[in-house]
Amino acid sequence: MLLVSGIGQAAKLPHYIMTNGFNGLHGRALPPAFGAKAANHRLTVIVASGDGDMYGEGGNHFIHNVRRNIEMTVIVHDNQIYGLTKGQASPTTAKGVKTALQPEGVVLTPFNPLAVAISLDAPFVARSFSAEIDFTADLILKAMDAKGFALIDVLQPCVSFNKINTAQWYRERAYKLGPEHDPTDKARALEKAFEWGEKIPLGIIYDKPRPGYVEQTVGLDSEPIFSRITKTADVEELVGGLY
Amino acid sequence: MQDVAITIGGAAGQGLVTISDMLLKLLSRTGRHVFAIQDYMSRVRGGHNFMRIRISGERKFANTEKTNILVALDQRTVVEHLESLEDPALVLHDTETVGPVDAACATFVGIPISASVPDGNKVFGNSVAFGAVISILGLDLEPAKEIISQHFGGKGREAVEKNLRAAAKGYAHIKSDHAELILRLPDGIKKPAMLINGAEALGLGMIAGGLRFISAYPMSPSTSIFNYVTRHAGKLGILSEQAEDEIASVNMALGASAAGARAATTTSGGGLDLMAEGISLAGISETPVVINNIQRPGPATGQPTRTAQEDLDLVLNMGHGEFPRFVFAPGTAEEAFYTAAGAMNLADKYQVPVFILGDQLLVDSYTTLPGLDLEKAKYQGHLADPAKVARPYKRYLLTPDGVSPRLPYGAEGARVMFDSHLHDETGLITEEPAMAKKMTEKRFLKLRGMSREPFRPVRYGHKKPEMSLVCWGSTYGAVREAVDLLNAGGARAEMIHFNRLSPFPVREAVALLRGKKSVRVVEGNHSSQLGRLIARETSIKTGESVLRYDGRPFTASYVIENLKRVGKWKLKMSFSSKAKRRGARGAATSASSRPSKRR
Repeated sequence: MLLVSGIGQAAKLPHYIMTNGFNGLHGRALPPAFGAKAANHRLTVIVASGDGDMYGEGGNHFIHNVRRNIEMTVIVHDNQIYGLTKGQASPTTAKGVKTALQPEGVVLTPFNPLAVAISLDAPFVARSFSAEIDFTADLILKAMDAKGFALIDVLQPCVSFNKINTAQWYRERAYKLGPEHDPTDKARALEKAFEWGEKIPLGIIYDKPRPGYVEQTVGLDSEPIFSRITKTADVEELVGGLY
Repeated sequence: MQDVAITIGGAAGQGLVTISDMLLKLLSRTGRHVFAIQDYMSRVRGGHNFMRIRISGERKFANTEKTNILVALDQRTVVEHLESLEDPALVLHDTETVGPVDAACATFVGIPISASVPDGNKVFGNSVAFGAVISILGLDLEPAKEIISQHFGGKGREAVEKNLRAAAKGYAHIKSDHAELILRLPDGIKKPAMLINGAEALGLGMIAGGLRFISAYPMSPSTSIFNYVTRHAGKLGILSEQAEDEIASVNMALGASAAGARAATTTSGGGLDLMAEGISLAGISETPVVINNIQRPGPATGQPTRTAQEDLDLVLNMGHGEFPRFVFAPGTAEEAFYTAAGAMNLADKYQVPVFILGDQLLVDSYTTLPGLDLEKAKYQGHLADPAKVARPYKRYLLTPDGVSPRLPYGAEGARVMFDSHLHDETGLITEEPAMAKKMTEKRFLKLRGMSREPFRPVRYGHKKPEMSLVCWGSTYGAVREAVDLLNAGGARAEMIHFNRLSPFPVREAVALLRGKKSVRVVEGNHSSQLGRLIARETSIKTGESVLRYDGRPFTASYVIENLKRVGKWKLKMSFSSKAKRRGARGAATSASSRPSKRR
């Protein structure tokens, strides 16, 4: 297994888990995770990130790796605030929230990661709440079974800097989706992705497999890229093409 | 037999690439040496583009500013190139669309293209022109037929047939109406030569050096390397991915590299700027990566399709913090091949970022070569043997040479950790001052080994020089030829060319430069970046530099003219009238030479 992260409170995770790690740059967890998975698809790749790292600094990579549908599990610790830099607005901070850098309140529309991922056909999109430990663990296992870009946005309080979205705040609003929700229905999934405020749905929002990147390029059963060898005869053939 | 320079010009999309490509193939297959530059504007249609092919009996390393034969696909080409025509010169043009102008030195040869194309279809016009060009060059039609068949093979048998007929018409027209103008080309080597451009050389070199993963964002003039590798990637089992931006491309390459795949990226200045933090990450995480930076004039968008050598200071210093790196600047396509293969091996050997500095001139110029020695470009593996590495595994084990045994992810019983923080030997975050000191010193310990690696400066020319012309990268060709011309005229000149610029070969540079009478740096930028680097590294002050920063490539005549203009050094040779005339033009149209800033 390989645990990849960028920078932030959540991104220190590889240092605390006894497995392979790549702790790269702020916002840049996905590109090296993609590179490692593409180079050795036998690795199980998990990305640990936060709302600032994944949706802010790394927003472009988020969009395009959902499009790539690279086979990995992406866990975003979403506390709706910047923790490591001490309390500024994150892409998921609600409008109107006042911080040192947004003294009049946030005017930007919050980023909706679930809706973006669903609209780009991420094959597995889920939301959890950090107080629900077993539920979250179960979602992670399901995400790891998905064959493509699996996103779990995990709502969590920031006890130091987010005095609004507290554990109590989430507890009053979060509810688990029941069997009546059909996660293969894209329109219904989008509807659930936009449900926010009084009620916040948890669970698998969207679950619709589509071919992954490695499956379509390298081939799931083939020799990993990193252990292949270019033969001298192959180079000679290229040289021959120059005459 | 003298060299012949042929210029094929027209608007973008008019087909000059088709004619040029077929002509280059024909010339190299019939054993002529060529050096060809591409000059194009940053647009898809219209404007004015040209390719200038210098045909010679011996290897040439640079182009000229003069033309013996102009193939004008539009009227603008005639106007643009009138000044550069030799006396005498031939101008081949379509009888209908391009008219002769008043030029004493030029003979205008009209080709009735519309009347010669099968079915009256203008699509075949390029083949008519191609037939006429090879006819005027005194080349046989037979070997050209094979090239036409290959070029148009993808379009079906009928297309091939009609293009062959078109070429035969153009060929016959010259034979029947202008037989007295037909030239005789130098014989050349009488066997097929390899035809290669710098982009192919870099791509091929990286492939020979074991490239497994390439990720890049398209950017002129670097894209042709990415295209070349990608074209062959599937068959070779290389993974090629177009990244969403350059930040992604370099970070993707680092991830692939950490997983054990030799990785590279290609870009040009602006894209390289975006990679800076990723390169810093390669530095502290000690992740091998090869970055091909194909320079174009900046700042910012600058001149996207033109040439420059403005990024040396950038690659020597880019990425915050301190870490060692290799910087290479091969002088020719041949050297680019060996350098690229070496770069892949050296990145892995020392676990450092490796830059290859090319430019538009290097990647877009075609040259003929007798061949390439694949033995000199062999893959050398540097991953550690998992069976021989002690457990628990320490990714950043402190060693006497600074290089830790590197295992890829997935090695049995090893936790492999790449980290962007200051870390301990296992790769875990630490803020210990003692470890901070040790890890910094560890990285720089590698410099000892790196300094002993090849691609050192080379010397060419007079053994007891009174003038030393110092250059780096693609300026090699023009300076080498300038040295030849100067020496042929009775001067005593030498060239000193730097390929490896980091770690700077201090000892070799001092040995080559100390005590020399007159040392002048020739480079494609405004601030004489190599001149300042030499001063910094060796304390040797070089004389006034010959600089060019108008986006156009150096030629030998440009170098000589500017040496005469700005130097205190007196040329002790008499130039032929031809050289004088070339020089005068160079001075009139090109950027001036400036003293370097440090005095």
